[in-house]
Amino acid sequence: MSKQNKIKSVQELEQPVVDLSIDYNTVDQEPKKERPRGREYPQSRSRMPEKQLFEFAEYKASDAERTGYSNYSYWKSVWQNFLRNKPAVIMSVVFILLFIFTFVSPLISKYTVESIRIDYDRMFTSPNSEFWFGTDNMGRDYWCQVWFATRTSILLAVLVAVGEIILGTVIGLLWGYVRKLDRFFTELYNFVNNVPTIIYMTLIALMVGKSFLIMALAMIFFNWLATARNVRNLVLMYRDREYNLASRCLGTSVGSILARNILPYLISVIILRLALAIPGTIAYETTLTYLGLMDVSRPSLGILLRNARSFFLDYPYLLVFPAGIVSIITITFYLVGNAFSDACDPRNHV
Amino acid sequence: MSEAMKQTVDFDARARQVLSQVPLLSARDVEVTFSLRGNKLTAIRRASLDLYEGETLAIVGESGSGKSVFTKCFVGMLDKNGSITHGSIQYDGQELTQLSEKEWLKIRGKKIAMVTQDPMTSLNPLKTVGYQIQEAVELHQGLRGRAAKEETLRILEAVGISDAARRYKQYPHEFSGGMRQRVVIAIAVACRPQILICDEPTTALDVTIQAQILDLIRRLQKEQNMTIIYITHDLGVVANVADRVAVMYAGQVIEIGMANEIFFDPWHPYTWALLSALPQLGVKGEKLPAIDGTPPNLFNKIQGDAFAPRNKHALNIDFLEEPPMYEVTATHQVKAWLRDPRAPKVDQPQSIARLAESKTETGTDPNAYHPHLDPNRETLIQVKNMQVTFGTGRKKFVAVDDVNFEIYKGETFALVGESGSGKTTIGRALVRINPITGGEVYLNGQKINGKISKEQDLKVIRSCQMIFQDPMASLNERAKVDYIVSEGLINHHLYKNEAEREEKVQKALEEVGLLPEFSSRFPHEFSGGQRQRIGIARALIMEPQFIVADEPISALDVSIRAQVLNLLNDLKKKRGLTYMFIAHDLSVVRFISDRIAVIHKGRIVELAEAEELFFHPLHPYTRALLSAVPNPNPYVERSKQLMVYDPDVHDYSVDKPIWNEILPDHFVYGNERELDGYRKELGL
Repeated sequence: MSKQNKIKSVQELEQPVVDLSIDYNTVDQEPKKERPRGREYPQSRSRMPEKQLFEFAEYKASDAERTGYSNYSYWKSVWQNFLRNKPAVIMSVVFILLFIFTFVSPLISKYTVESIRIDYDRMFTSPNSEFWFGTDNMGRDYWCQVWFATRTSILLAVLVAVGEIILGTVIGLLWGYVRKLDRFFTELYNFVNNVPTIIYMTLIALMVGKSFLIMALAMIFFNWLATARNVRNLVLMYRDREYNLASRCLGTSVGSILARNILPYLISVIILRLALAIPGTIAYETTLTYLGLMDVSRPSLGILLRNARSFFLDYPYLLVFPAGIVSIITITFYLVGNAFSDACDPRNHV
Repeated sequence: MSEAMKQTVDFDARARQVLSQVPLLSARDVEVTFSLRGNKLTAIRRASLDLYEGETLAIVGESGSGKSVFTKCFVGMLDKNGSITHGSIQYDGQELTQLSEKEWLKIRGKKIAMVTQDPMTSLNPLKTVGYQIQEAVELHQGLRGRAAKEETLRILEAVGISDAARRYKQYPHEFSGGMRQRVVIAIAVACRPQILICDEPTTALDVTIQAQILDLIRRLQKEQNMTIIYITHDLGVVANVADRVAVMYAGQVIEIGMANEIFFDPWHPYTWALLSALPQLGVKGEKLPAIDGTPPNLFNKIQGDAFAPRNKHALNIDFLEEPPMYEVTATHQVKAWLRDPRAPKVDQPQSIARLAESKTETGTDPNAYHPHLDPNRETLIQVKNMQVTFGTGRKKFVAVDDVNFEIYKGETFALVGESGSGKTTIGRALVRINPITGGEVYLNGQKINGKISKEQDLKVIRSCQMIFQDPMASLNERAKVDYIVSEGLINHHLYKNEAEREEKVQKALEEVGLLPEFSSRFPHEFSGGQRQRIGIARALIMEPQFIVADEPISALDVSIRAQVLNLLNDLKKKRGLTYMFIAHDLSVVRFISDRIAVIHKGRIVELAEAEELFFHPLHPYTRALLSAVPNPNPYVERSKQLMVYDPDVHDYSVDKPIWNEILPDHFVYGNERELDGYRKELGL
């Protein structure tokens, strides 16, 4: 059916199911044999003669079928509900501007990360017109470092969060739906989860390397478990619902059932986890940097915070800028995640 | 109808009683609105109702008609987003609409109590049953300690729970559904209320249990001189209990009168339609007079008579102005323009007359074709010694055991039993959702259980489809109707291109009486009946030979049931389908099926042709089930004799029972001694 047709039919439904013609023959009281029969719908009773009022209206079965429903689209409602949450909308705009600015800032600043050099004469310069965020303990421009670090951290966080959520969701779906896999994944979960992740991370950092990509992969590899477990438990709730039995009856493959029948119900939870995984990863990265498990040659917010730790009592601006940005990111994703997962829940749509 | 039957209840005397009294509770022009996310829903549209002392008033209506909301106003239990925006409710000299929460505490529970529908959720699972009743006793009767406990035990016995001292210490999960409902009733009557509101108290229960609960409420009413409001959608229950009946539609009381007036002389077209749509009054092989469409959306403003768009007798004025209440008799009022002197004369439909004459046995079209009577009948499905077990080791549970039957091509084979009897398990085993643990299933003579070739597997999927019980749960809420209906097509690649697929979906939707444009909508926009038809379209599009219909109408409203039954019968004729119809309601089964199998605790105990089973039931369980079937004639319903089935009547210790064909096509499960008895009864 074409789109135009659909729109038209919706309008039809909103209109009264009767047409607006009056039998003027009887209004004029002229005797005529044929009177149109139909569901007359004049504006007021006075316009219809009493005789016609008490005549049978034509019965239309298709009109009866039309009564009682609304015009609804799932994603439209999600979006509208999300927009109603003002703090989340404002914070997401702030975050988007912040992220764009991490790319714009090298163009407007006097120094770039590639060109800055160590200059002990200028160390601990407070923010001024030359150095907008001041300089660090080695006299390097702090402005370009902060923005570069923000970009690195956001990229790492998004990469890790998306990776772990995709991996965790796919495995969680299979774990929950395919009964034969349950035992295997439960044991794997217990096995991996019983040793603190930090030990694995230390081993990988020391034995394989500390580069950005390796650490990102390592984080994904150990973080998906929690998501998978969460998803698995939710799948168990939906697995034996009647609509899934109906799909099995029709011979639908496991993949389609998971993608079309179960995954849509988990969207709100998955989005919440995704949103919380981003600030979680930034915090985790900070911890790893603190333990010296990250590559320090590439500035990230974690590295800046670690460096600032030694000097922030005397030079608080070193801590304030990166900490402020971390806070903005954390608060944004917390608010947006909650707002979006609420908006995704159809119970919150009228 | 015999004169003796008419004496079971004297409605005239009750009518005189009603007319001589001042109402105990009087609701006038009550309007209730709910606000849902900025939208206003008018659930009750200026409804009025009087309640007289000592009577039983039944409120009948479909879901969404406002019957529950209306009575919740009488106990001050409206949800937080709802409020009474107009009208008054007078009770005992007080204006109930103006009470504060503190004042309510003196009335709610003590003077007006409520029994809700679901006994599973209205008890606290963490407290013993005794504690929960005693809590009410202490709170409302002021008794303490030993006295309270004795009173609790007395109440437990009064509601028919034997061994009260032991039961007192048990938790709700140790009680069956019927027992739990007795406990809920016990709590409600513990404080000797003047008015008891029963909100669908038996809907979640089996028919045999339902009859017992109704008896219990009636007995308690007599003992404590209570006034009872019964909310239900089941006209059989109404016939059983009600002195007066109020019919509600779209938030208004549209007809109210003594039970005999409503059943035998109704005047609102909606009441006509409701009664005519009862399968008990239908003629087998013919269409039931169904009500098309669905109730109106109360978010919209309703002009005129809300029922008009679905009303086959609608006048032009029905679309314009709301009718006033017309008086038929002193006790019988109706809100329909048809009663206006200016309106044309319309006769009541024939089925109303059939009801009055008590022809409530389903008539049979003598020319109807019964596939199992055809000498060349073909077996479509054959089940041999089927067994289904769940769990393993010590937790093993045998759901279905040693079940044998054949389904012939073109017939409707009904499987009837209580909840938990294994009827759904058999249905699911046939479409292979539940694997069977023993026995064989054949389709067209080919074995379909166990390991079969991939090719045959696909063929079997296409030939055997299922319609599910709960239309709310059986459609994927997050997929469009288009996807839901074409799911089978996609799985089996039954179309050449997108256009052909869409065309097939539209055709399937039209075939089940839905508009083709519905394909772009989501399931939650539809009413139960429409959703059920989407489910049927989904199964039909595979062009199956055999459909398992698992209680397809039990979750639907009365006015919608006939639509779905008619549709199933139409499709059967048009496409030569074979059905297995699973149900717990024997009146429906009698209307729709050719043969009926009665199942009890995982075993089929009797299998016969539909009318044969109704006229010559042999197995004691079948008899008990038949005796409990609700009848929409108040006189017949109130004079029926209930039989209770006790499995201990069978002594199978020495003489082992067998599955025996006692007459051609009439099978019964029993041992030699019992079979001899049955043969004697049949005069063989």
